[in-house]
Amino acid sequence: MSDLQLEIKTLIIDALGLEDMAAEDIAADLTLFGEGLGLDSVDALELGLAIQKRFGIKIDAEAKDTRKHFANVASLAAFVSSQQTA
Amino acid sequence: MNWLPLEHLLLEAHTGRAVTADLDHPQLRQHALQLAAELQNRGVKRLALYLDDASDLAIALLAAWRAGITVLLPGDAQPQTRQRMSTQCDLWLDSVNGLLSAGSAALPPAALNLDQCQLTLCTSGSSGEAKLIDKSLRQLANEVTALEQLWGKQLGSATILGSVATQHIFGLLFRVLWPLCAGRVFLRRAQPFPEDLQRESLACGTDFVWVASPALLKRMGNNLDWNALRAVRQVFSSGGALPSETAAELQNLLGQWPTEIYGSSETGGIAWRQGGELWTPFAGVELGQNSEGALHLTSPYLPAGHREQTADAVELQADGRFALRGRLDRIIKLEEKRISLPMLEQALSSHEWLSDARLGVVQEGRAYLGALVALSPAGLHALRNQGRKTVTETLRRHLAGHCEAIALPRRWRLLAQLPYNNQGKLAQATVEALLAEPRPTQVEPLSAVEQDGEWQLQLIVPLDLAHFTGHFPQTPVLPGVVQVDWAQQLARSLIKDLPPRFSGMEVLKFQQLVRPGDPLQLSLRFDASRGKLYFAFRNGEAPCSSGRILLGPAQ
Repeated sequence: MSDLQLEIKTLIIDALGLEDMAAEDIAADLTLFGEGLGLDSVDALELGLAIQKRFGIKIDAEAKDTRKHFANVASLAAFVSSQQTA
Repeated sequence: MNWLPLEHLLLEAHTGRAVTADLDHPQLRQHALQLAAELQNRGVKRLALYLDDASDLAIALLAAWRAGITVLLPGDAQPQTRQRMSTQCDLWLDSVNGLLSAGSAALPPAALNLDQCQLTLCTSGSSGEAKLIDKSLRQLANEVTALEQLWGKQLGSATILGSVATQHIFGLLFRVLWPLCAGRVFLRRAQPFPEDLQRESLACGTDFVWVASPALLKRMGNNLDWNALRAVRQVFSSGGALPSETAAELQNLLGQWPTEIYGSSETGGIAWRQGGELWTPFAGVELGQNSEGALHLTSPYLPAGHREQTADAVELQADGRFALRGRLDRIIKLEEKRISLPMLEQALSSHEWLSDARLGVVQEGRAYLGALVALSPAGLHALRNQGRKTVTETLRRHLAGHCEAIALPRRWRLLAQLPYNNQGKLAQATVEALLAEPRPTQVEPLSAVEQDGEWQLQLIVPLDLAHFTGHFPQTPVLPGVVQVDWAQQLARSLIKDLPPRFSGMEVLKFQQLVRPGDPLQLSLRFDASRGKLYFAFRNGEAPCSSGRILLGPAQ
């Protein structure tokens, strides 16, 4: 598990109040929304804000399908590092 | 704009009148009349619609009404809901594609009957059962007409975009029925994310209007192009109150106040406001209060002569406006989703691991539910042998079949019994205060008796000690260090003048594991001449641990 993935897992747990959940319980490829971790649409909005704030990045409102990056921790980590180097 | 009354939408074809970017009125009318024929052929009497696409919903609604079919809009598409609906409806439609073919037969155009065309909305009722609310086409027509009179000029020919589903009254009226009658183009899909709402807004090439939820408006983020978004003609928000700071921030960013609509599935729109605290009733809405101060009303959007009682406490002003003062029952809103706490508690308590359950709202970052639960003997067994996480995960899964994900409790407090007062009541404020507290680390003795300088205490190990999470996840065991700490803490609360400084321990023995819910007897004796606190924990006859804690004067 990369440091960035670990940081994102911890951010998810803290920002969304997931009791009894530890970083190692969230596999990098676990689906975050709906099935899998079972997060809802408000979590999606909260997580969007939390990710932008924590990593100092902006979700590009011009690009389509940016929310696809929120599928799982691995895709989120890839998205964050691409935005940080962009 | 060229207003078409709701009941005349299938009468004549209006060439050149757009409905969505890729559907015009003649096509809409043709599809609806064809679908009406198809539904009639199939003998459908009651139809459940769960359509993501607002233009499909428009077609299906008009078709059903034209064919004399009652329409039901389920609040969600959970398996339980679908199953329940299967007894009430002949057909559940997720899509209209399979039912429409190019050259198929159509019913002849006709005006819709305002009193015979019916729509049934679903929401959570106070009894816990899903509540069905019948609306006649007349009620809906009155409401869209009033909306157009109030804001039609302001909206002009703007395109209507929304973040909210059309399954509920707000989305249905504002995203579908009102624009259909007004001849405004609407976007087919809901846009639940800020980036998507921005992109679609700026792409529509004309003015635009937002029909949004507070959940979204509270979380728009600073990655948006607010300068470009200032072109928005009007922002409608409903489903729950917008926090005043959010309204003020939007005013600052967009140069206009959002328009909030107060109402419910039962009542339709009651009032609106643009900034400030006070709500202005819609024309023809007559307000009053019952003896508890809860609002009731008659309205052109209700059946004639019907007075609807709400559970919202209000303060009526002399000028006819009013302020909302909270709800008087146990139906709550989480991010605009109405949730019946009694229903969920009932569902939760039906699990064999629980004997009782109460729910409350936890406000940390986002609002979510917390559950205060009393474990049954089977539940205690599960906790002791499988750990807390297995228990809470199992209960969450059990509930998942009964509610939407948003209502699943995220915080759990496990108790032996719920703290009812002498009158057998447990106030909601108490539930929420207990949920807000961290999990316990200490224990309260049930009794403490002294004889000849030795104290005897009765304790029950709390089920939900914070220490159990890591010690150990699947088999919670009271750590030895916590036992020593408890002995010292409790001794200090009972025995006067104990020397303040901990300076060591002697002959510590741990003989038997102590687990959640164990009844313990703790004996404490302080030998002042040696500065030694003797402690021993027993569970019935079995010694659990014992030792001496050395205490000395402050250094």
